[in-house]
Amino acid sequence: MENNLKNLAFEWVMTDPEKAQIASDYYCQMRDAFEAHNNRVPDELIRNGMGEDLAYLIYSMLGELGNNSFDHNLANWPNIPGVFFSVEYDSKTGTAIIADRGLGVLNTLRKAAPDLKNDEEALELAFTKKISSRVFENRGNGLKFVKNNITANNLLLEFSSGDAQVIINHAMKKIN
Amino acid sequence: MKIEIKKFGDKLVSRPTGREAFLALESYQLKDLPADEPIEIDFDGVKALTPSWADEVVTKIAERFKNVTLLNAESMTVQATLKTLREYSDLKI
Repeated sequence: MENNLKNLAFEWVMTDPEKAQIASDYYCQMRDAFEAHNNRVPDELIRNGMGEDLAYLIYSMLGELGNNSFDHNLANWPNIPGVFFSVEYDSKTGTAIIADRGLGVLNTLRKAAPDLKNDEEALELAFTKKISSRVFENRGNGLKFVKNNITANNLLLEFSSGDAQVIINHAMKKIN
Repeated sequence: MKIEIKKFGDKLVSRPTGREAFLALESYQLKDLPADEPIEIDFDGVKALTPSWADEVVTKIAERFKNVTLLNAESMTVQATLKTLREYSDLKI
């Protein structure tokens, strides 16, 4: 199931806009749809046996990741707005997937750091330095929050943008 | 003055809702207070908190007032959020 959903998300992100389709269960066109879906997540995780603290922490991390998609693409979606969002947990293992067809981390951060050369540099900056492309906010700490909690709670994050990917776990691996 | 964060909800996630919360606080509670007014930020009843929301409220309160204390901040998400803000947003409390 996890791989099916991952493939589904990947296909949706990669397909030409006129052919891209997605089941409504997984598609959140607007921020409020994403938040409504995410608001159900903690109860589902707790019902399946997850501790309350971790369930709400995961909910908070998903909130940061999903809201990032909307914050940085608002009125700038290249074609299809919104995110693919799915969460599964079977009492032992769980997977959450958030994917968007947005501008990408490199294009977004270039507004604040024009010298960025490629996707790899952009991801490194996004996960390690204090930076935001939204000039009036100058914050940009959501991804650091996610990274800190992944490492502190022995979770795993796979984050891809353009042709770069970061994989973070308690051992902090980075793979291009 | 005590600010009960749960009055804004028990799951506090997005930056826009944080911004709204601060505007409400500013308009109705913080407006005429001097910078040395003691402020207590109470997280009792808050189940989830993110740096995006807290940056719009907690960081801004801490920037404006000199004497800010945090109450009932033990939960995992509140602790994780405060850690991130201290690390990346220069939060001093």
